[in-house]
Amino acid sequence: MLVHVNAATGVPLYLQIESQVKHAVAAGAMKQGETLPSVRKMAADLRVNPNTVARAYQNLERDGVIRTVPGGGTYVAGNVPGLLKAEKLKRLRPFAMQLAVEGTQLRLTPEEVLKLVEESLEELRVKP
Amino acid sequence: MTEYAITTSQLAKHYSNTRAVDGLDLRVPRGSIYGFLGRNGAGKTTTIRMLMGLAHPTSGSATVLGLRWPEDRCAILDRVGFVGEKKQLFESMKGNALVRFNKPYFPRWSDELANRYARRLEVPMDVPFKKLSQGNRTKLCLLLALAQGAELLILDEPTSGLDPVVMDELLRVLVEDYAGEGRTIFLSSHNLAEVEKIADWVGIIDRGKLLLEAPLEEIRADFRRVTASGNALPGERTEQVVSVAASGSVREYFVRNNAERFAAELRNQGATILEVSPLNLEQVFLRLVKKEEPCTAGNTGATHAVASSSI
Repeated sequence: MLVHVNAATGVPLYLQIESQVKHAVAAGAMKQGETLPSVRKMAADLRVNPNTVARAYQNLERDGVIRTVPGGGTYVAGNVPGLLKAEKLKRLRPFAMQLAVEGTQLRLTPEEVLKLVEESLEELRVKP
Repeated sequence: MTEYAITTSQLAKHYSNTRAVDGLDLRVPRGSIYGFLGRNGAGKTTTIRMLMGLAHPTSGSATVLGLRWPEDRCAILDRVGFVGEKKQLFESMKGNALVRFNKPYFPRWSDELANRYARRLEVPMDVPFKKLSQGNRTKLCLLLALAQGAELLILDEPTSGLDPVVMDELLRVLVEDYAGEGRTIFLSSHNLAEVEKIADWVGIIDRGKLLLEAPLEEIRADFRRVTASGNALPGERTEQVVSVAASGSVREYFVRNNAERFAAELRNQGATILEVSPLNLEQVFLRLVKKEEPCTAGNTGATHAVASSSI
């Protein structure tokens, strides 16, 4: 799996790693049971501090995206995140707000914004 | 084992009429990659020279791996790899000869590492030092420090003069072979993007004093730019507000902590908060060391252009 990070954007590096792994799993580029590089290997490949990768992996594990076997590597978990629906919605709300702000700014209608979201979901082949 | 690789306590070095280092208290955790940042002449090299026993403190003290100069001199030199500001070795010696020369001094020396780094950093080993380019001299100095098997690396501007390919390779080596092994790296640098990627601790020094020492994640989480518009907005710098810039009725505040509460207070005073955005290391560094930027209640309404032209 290829992950790229850019320190200049102001987005924390661990979040960049997290979102790229999530994207790869959501898009099916990484399948359940597939292995991820070790923290040290990923850190060396990206030239970032190992703690940064460790933090991203911890968050991904908490979210149920990956599974770490102590001493046995890191795998794509593939199971549904064990979160309450309310918690899932709470986590997405800031993204929805940003989309709403940008959409309004560009004078798009609510229908047009919703259509974009549907198209993106379609692209990931996830049934709404 | 102490939990800090380096500590300094009120460390100071005064030259005739300059205070190069002026009461510095550093805490460098073991296992960290610590970026030691500051402008030219801020006191970085003087601090490093005192840590390596190359300069005597005027006052204060320092420990390196829990050891002290001058009584633990041999133990420090055994266990600390050092690349100084002036990348200088015996002029007539070739890389291979320098490896043979250095080896007996260091109990944990590894020929295997020396060979590996010669290959990975592309160091010409059969050319006399004086005939090497500046970049290759730096690489050879780094190779000798890396092959030493040190617990702590102290590097003064290690990437200056390196081409992007070698710099990238060096960062890989530092992350994989040092941070990955729980060893400590203390490096000074002007390349903030590079430090932002590999460091987990940052110390910023200016005019011999420490402005900030914190985990990088904390800096990223705490520092915010708050953009607000409204009448009679506060224009003073405070403990919390690092700098203020004004443009018409809009003000930009650089806040070092509790940005949400700061924004809420402004909102209570009738201001509109336009944005609260995170900052990268370079922006934080610039705001902290460019102190003289004027913006007080006295020049309310000053445009941004006026404020920045008088820096």
